[in-house]
Amino acid sequence: MGKRKVGALEKVDADLASLQYRCRRDPQSYRDDFQRQYDQYKTYLELFLQNPSSTDDNSLISLREQIDFVAHVADSYPSITATFPDDLIKLLGHHEELEHETREKIVGSLVLLRNKDVITSELLLRTLFPILIATTSKALRQLLFSKVISDLRTSNSKSTNHRLNKTIQTVLHNLLTEDRSSPKGIWAVKITREMWKRQIWTDAKAVEIMKEAALADNEKVIAGGVRFFLGGDKEREEAAEESSDEDDGVDMGKLRHQAGINKKTKKKERELKKAAATVKKKEKKKTAPHALNFSALHLLHDPQGFAETLFSKHVQNSKSKLTLDTKILVLQLVSRLVGLHRLTVISLYSWFLKYLTPRQQSVTAFLACLAQSTHNLVPPDVLEPLIQKIANEFVSEGSASEVCAAGLNSIREICVRQPLAMNDTLLQDLVDYRKSKDKGVQFAARGLLSLYREVGAELLKRRDRGKDAAMGLRSGAHQERRFGEEEVGEIEGIELLEKWKEEERRKKRIEAGLPADAPTDEDEEEGNESDDWNNWDVASDDSDSSTGWIDVDPEGEEINISDSEDEKERPAKKAKLDNEVLDAKKENKGKSEEPTEARKISKLASTRILTPADLAKLQELRLASNITANMPSQKRRQALAARHADDPLTAAEIEAPGLLGKRNTKEEKIAMAKADHENDHRSTTARRKEKKQAEGKSTTNKEKARKKNFLMTLGKAKGKQKRSLVDVRKTLRGHLDRQKRGGKRGNR
Amino acid sequence: MGSSAKKKKEKKKDFQKAKLKVGKTQAKPANYTDTSFKAKAIVLTQQSLSANAPTVAAQCAHHLSMLTHKSDTQRKESLAYLTTAISSSPSGQPLPQPPAVILPAVQRLILDGSNGVRQQLLRLLQALPAGEIANHSDQLLLHTRAGMTHLASDIRVFALDILEWLLGVAGGEVVSCAGGWVKMLKCFLGLLGWQNETAGKWSVTRPFGKAGGDTKVQVKQMMALATFLRAGLLPLQTAIDPAVGGNSFPLWQTEHHLLSERSNVYAHLNLFGAPRDEEAEMYEDREDRQRVFHVRAESAITAGLEQATKGGGELGRAAAQLRRVVKDGMADFHGEQGMIH
Repeated sequence: MGKRKVGALEKVDADLASLQYRCRRDPQSYRDDFQRQYDQYKTYLELFLQNPSSTDDNSLISLREQIDFVAHVADSYPSITATFPDDLIKLLGHHEELEHETREKIVGSLVLLRNKDVITSELLLRTLFPILIATTSKALRQLLFSKVISDLRTSNSKSTNHRLNKTIQTVLHNLLTEDRSSPKGIWAVKITREMWKRQIWTDAKAVEIMKEAALADNEKVIAGGVRFFLGGDKEREEAAEESSDEDDGVDMGKLRHQAGINKKTKKKERELKKAAATVKKKEKKKTAPHALNFSALHLLHDPQGFAETLFSKHVQNSKSKLTLDTKILVLQLVSRLVGLHRLTVISLYSWFLKYLTPRQQSVTAFLACLAQSTHNLVPPDVLEPLIQKIANEFVSEGSASEVCAAGLNSIREICVRQPLAMNDTLLQDLVDYRKSKDKGVQFAARGLLSLYREVGAELLKRRDRGKDAAMGLRSGAHQERRFGEEEVGEIEGIELLEKWKEEERRKKRIEAGLPADAPTDEDEEEGNESDDWNNWDVASDDSDSSTGWIDVDPEGEEINISDSEDEKERPAKKAKLDNEVLDAKKENKGKSEEPTEARKISKLASTRILTPADLAKLQELRLASNITANMPSQKRRQALAARHADDPLTAAEIEAPGLLGKRNTKEEKIAMAKADHENDHRSTTARRKEKKQAEGKSTTNKEKARKKNFLMTLGKAKGKQKRSLVDVRKTLRGHLDRQKRGGKRGNR
Repeated sequence: MGSSAKKKKEKKKDFQKAKLKVGKTQAKPANYTDTSFKAKAIVLTQQSLSANAPTVAAQCAHHLSMLTHKSDTQRKESLAYLTTAISSSPSGQPLPQPPAVILPAVQRLILDGSNGVRQQLLRLLQALPAGEIANHSDQLLLHTRAGMTHLASDIRVFALDILEWLLGVAGGEVVSCAGGWVKMLKCFLGLLGWQNETAGKWSVTRPFGKAGGDTKVQVKQMMALATFLRAGLLPLQTAIDPAVGGNSFPLWQTEHHLLSERSNVYAHLNLFGAPRDEEAEMYEDREDRQRVFHVRAESAITAGLEQATKGGGELGRAAAQLRRVVKDGMADFHGEQGMIH
């Protein structure tokens, strides 16, 4: 039933809006009126509580209008309205029976009270959250969710409200742990993910919530939790990027130009100044280093236990009723954890054996997971049967070329991570596929070959080893890395820097007239030192932003580098995939270049503090010495090293070489060509022109002349008869020329 | 663009008029929708053919449902119908609809926006048999109180009429029902502007009572308050039936041990409701009411009365009447000390 129409006369008398306005303006004078309204509200409330499902549409003023009114002026009369929030909360307890408008009004009023600081955030969230998970109304859920999120955001906007966050996180955690099979846990997942995305919650506790979600019994909750670990950080980064390049807004150049042309007033000047200030602020914000955020995978407690439980509960357990998609998701998470933290879950590998057949649904995902879960601490004898099985099932002349390529590629991905898992007969067999007719198989086999040239050339046939590897083997520089052997960490090229420093010192001494090789005495050393400190910064021309010191915002994210109990594994975010194998080779190469010089570990880094200037010099020296850096193999290696350890290996990457040889059909080609301008029927020129205009570039003089109003050109146009002979000749020549070229804008 | 002849023609095509031809039907427009339909039979919906008119009870039920109609006139007419149906029903017979059905439906109309509807409502209520009201007095009182605090002044005044009627019909129940005493007193004090400002700031000197209030309304309010206090503070004049106490020789005062005839006898125990505070408590005893009155309202009313008496005229007369009621009602109240002795 619609709302009854209120006559004009009635309106004048029963105008809550005007009373509200007056109460806000002068609370003391209208106290009595407010008191009466409050009594009225109380009576209505009593009436309403007798029968919550009744609607009072017909009365002049409904309960929800009263609630709205009281909520708006409640902060002016704190003594009168002391029980008002409790009343609302009690009333919201009847949310199942309440009329939807009233319900929404009550929620809105509570949020309003929170914004006016009448009630605390905690009380508000403690009220809204139980209703959010209990209600069956979709609209109310949506409203409550948005309110909860926005309240959490606002209360964390100025500074992090640790207490509130902790309480809410505890509530969410309890929700997940007390009933693992209920679907209500999805709300905990949703809220946490949203908070994570907005970088409001970045701590281990939020990750703990998601961990509980991933270990739940309800499929939706599991999927939510697992997806968070797989994609939450990427989502967060994207959101941050989006917000940063969201509003580039003002065009300073344009404003300045306008200020030069238009009338100069104080107001315009002020506006210009203001715009300049905002632009500057934005610029500052852009260049400021963004807060250090650790990825969720690094903030996990006990990843080993988590991975084991996940695997045994959801994947290995024959009683778990997850769909294949969810199972693959969980598997992806398990394998990422294993790969990233180098965990030991031995049963994982034998489990894979069953699924490695080309007929298995989404087998590339399984292959990717297998490769991802391999690391250099996995025993090679566990992996060997798997590789054998892949080779048998996928790689044969009989199988389709895509299947073959995927198999080879996945073997390569496994062997990149654990080269010892391969034996020579199988490798030589597989490498022979580089002579296949199919391009994809060729590429995949070549990839395997080039990998083993670097990490295990002795497994290859003599003629396949290539020049570098053969020479390395002969000189003994190529040494196979044993199982479990780790590379010694060092700064690349530090010995070059040391050498350079020594030379510099010698030069200085010669200048000073001292014997070059005499041992340095103390004070001179001091002098050198101070010189170094004076040259702290790099000269401005060769400094780039990455070498400069970064001020970490003290207001921002707290950086916890203490080895406290709850963050045991010090997260090394975006640690480069330390491909020891490759690095080892590099090292070896260095050795082979100067084999006579005994390697000793440089003490420079451990005795001195390297200044930014030192680091810049180091980079320079490195570049100068490394002539091989531009060779294609080196480039490949760099690309590989640039891969972040956090980045997952996807099924698409496994499939990639298989798609290389694939030919597109005619339809596909046409569709691809059409795709970019499907809805745009303009010519290429028009599109280019528009693009140019959008970039703010000006037009050519020719273009301007063409566009010029015809009447403006009239005065200049002379009659044909009155032209001078020179002009006539010019025109005729021009005509001839054009004829030759083929038109005015001819195709030169 | 659009320079070629083909394109021009194409453009023109959209605006060409179809030529009319003699002897041919006119061409249908492009946006023509075919709305014709075929049916094998036409069925008329059943019509009620009953010869006898609906009973009065059915009619009343219909009109009760019409009370939520959006038109003022319809509501008023429905009320009028109900009034005549009730008043014309023979005295021995039960009403066409029991009051337990009628009252919940009509009580919301106390807050109705239209004056005509409200007046008609009062007539209907007055037509109802007095004995039946008592059981519904608490609900009615709630609505009355909502009316008394309403934003619209004429509804406020009208609620006083209702209150006077209610006190006349079921005074005892009204003052003793849950929240009936204290909340009403508070409400009255609010209406008259006689609240004793306890939390007032020292710098703000506020006039006691309303400065330029409508005297007529105020007189009416005071009269209603007087009636209310009379019902609450003065002892009930219930003539004890000598026949009941006397002649059932072996049993004495049996009526005290019997279950009361009132409905909801144990309401004061509040077994199922929310816990009540002092305001919402039931004050069934006259002495209780006196005590609460003394604590909460007496001083404010006395002060207010002084102010009103000074005003003189009609206001003064009403004040005098009210004062007499207060004096009579509190005559046998001795305060806390008296209670202890």
